[in-house]
Amino acid sequence: MVREGRRYAPAQQLRPFAFSEGAKEAALGLVLTLPPMIMLVLLVVVPAVEALLFSLGLVPKDNVVFSTGLHLVSSPTPTLKVYRDLFASHFFVDDLVLTFSVTFATVALTVVISYVLALYVRFSSGTLPEIMRSLYLIPMFVPVVIASYALITFYVDHGLLQSLLVQVGLGYGSPIYAQSGVILGEVWTQIPFAVLMIGSGLDGLPQELVEAAQDVGAGFFSIIWRIVFPLNLVPVLIVATFSFIGVMGSFTVPYLIGPNAPQMLGVAMNAYFGTYQQPQPAVAIAVLTFVFASVAGAIYVWATSRSGRVA
Amino acid sequence: MRLTWFLDVAEFRKAIGLILVLALGAFLLLPLATLLIWAFADVWRYPSLLPQQYSLRWWNWVFTNGDVGKAVFYSFTTAPVVTLISAIVCLPAAYAFSRLKFPGRQVFFIGLLATNAFPKFGLYISIATLFFELNLINTFWGVVLIQLINTLVVMIWIPAAGFDAVARELEEAARDAGAGPLRVFWRITLPLAMPGIIVAGILAFLAALDEAQGTLIVGSPRIITMPVLMYSLVSNYPEPVGAIFSVLLSLPSLVLLLFARRFLLAGYLAAGFRGR
Repeated sequence: MVREGRRYAPAQQLRPFAFSEGAKEAALGLVLTLPPMIMLVLLVVVPAVEALLFSLGLVPKDNVVFSTGLHLVSSPTPTLKVYRDLFASHFFVDDLVLTFSVTFATVALTVVISYVLALYVRFSSGTLPEIMRSLYLIPMFVPVVIASYALITFYVDHGLLQSLLVQVGLGYGSPIYAQSGVILGEVWTQIPFAVLMIGSGLDGLPQELVEAAQDVGAGFFSIIWRIVFPLNLVPVLIVATFSFIGVMGSFTVPYLIGPNAPQMLGVAMNAYFGTYQQPQPAVAIAVLTFVFASVAGAIYVWATSRSGRVA
Repeated sequence: MRLTWFLDVAEFRKAIGLILVLALGAFLLLPLATLLIWAFADVWRYPSLLPQQYSLRWWNWVFTNGDVGKAVFYSFTTAPVVTLISAIVCLPAAYAFSRLKFPGRQVFFIGLLATNAFPKFGLYISIATLFFELNLINTFWGVVLIQLINTLVVMIWIPAAGFDAVARELEEAARDAGAGPLRVFWRITLPLAMPGIIVAGILAFLAALDEAQGTLIVGSPRIITMPVLMYSLVSNYPEPVGAIFSVLLSLPSLVLLLFARRFLLAGYLAAGFRGR
């Protein structure tokens, strides 16, 4: 940077039309970032657009799967028939209801549990919070397939939990292969990110503010409700948005832990794609998850810009 | 008396903390502990708290099973290839994001992060239909491509932070001493940014190794990696088999992630979220 001027001047004299340093830097930057961007376009944008077109009945002739799938809707102009058929099926509507109830329950539970844990880590000191700091990260190190299987072996009928409960004379109904089991598994996997995110927000909270409130006699809950919570809204929104998208589109947890019917959207997609040999509804459900995710994303952007204006 | 009087008593505060830690510990660790015990159990009947009989015979079964061998082979051939390609594609971009001003920088970066927030399973289904057309379904390279998606963010974000951390003064001093720009890059910048690159490599390797959903859709039934095999082991075999396989599959993650833990947190927060 120091020598930039010296390198730049002679080149300018020799070649009057030479590009400036800034233009060269811009060109180099574009060239270097192009490969991952091409990857993104090929692996995300193109498949998403193709999926949308296919789900609207625009079937390319040369694609074997597209054109040999069962119950294929093919039309020269875009049609919503695939979606209408899906929504007319009560199986799919049940799947949708299950997906949203699991998703909202998971998001609510994740936010509440993670907030309590993050508050505890932030506002206390000693060995216990230190242990907690490592503890809540554990699910991050465990692949979801393994986590799901571990949860099954522990919570299943006649599993270890029931053995423990029977020692103290308690009855037990297993959540495994039921909706509550899916929520349990989803919360288990969401905890590390949620606590990390909310915790990092709490770390950014000015200590003076909390102390000032304490000095004027504000109680614990009033400090949390009136100061900490309003100032720490954005991380909560991030957590809610990401866990909504993650859970709504999840596959492994509901596939292994969930009920046979109704199913969550990810499991339903897999069934249409594989077992039923109907790629078109599968892809249409995929497009629906994209739409739900972008609605969540839009709400998040709207809420953060709004809370930014208020603050 | 206020409702929160108990929070003013140190012993009560401590008790609440202890309850929280124990509850979270039980919630997170008991299932994993159950799995670990199952890996060494032979007979474990309800309502016993521990197995009636321990044995290692299922380990023998797992190690001599042909499907397991094939899965290990495919896992440890796809994951390194994915890591290598990811490094070649992403590291120059990481340098550019860290050091260069260019048009579209912001848009590219947001685009990269948006992929992470994409509902992955729907994306895999969409990719699979496209891969049929391209004859990539059930192939090694199809699996490599689908595993690559989850490595892009980590392979750009963490090395970019690594390049950010290299002091410009060092590079300028080398330039003043007469070193050319390439020489400065190879001898100063790259070695100093190497820890970040290595951590990114480890995380990309693990992301590829642990990827189950995309590989299940694109690779089955021919290219079955270890996590994909878990899906069928879980439902079709007695508990110890899935448990042993889980232990084996966790080992590389456990070793490598503990090693990279400190760097990981920064990258994890930054990247927003890990696909599942």
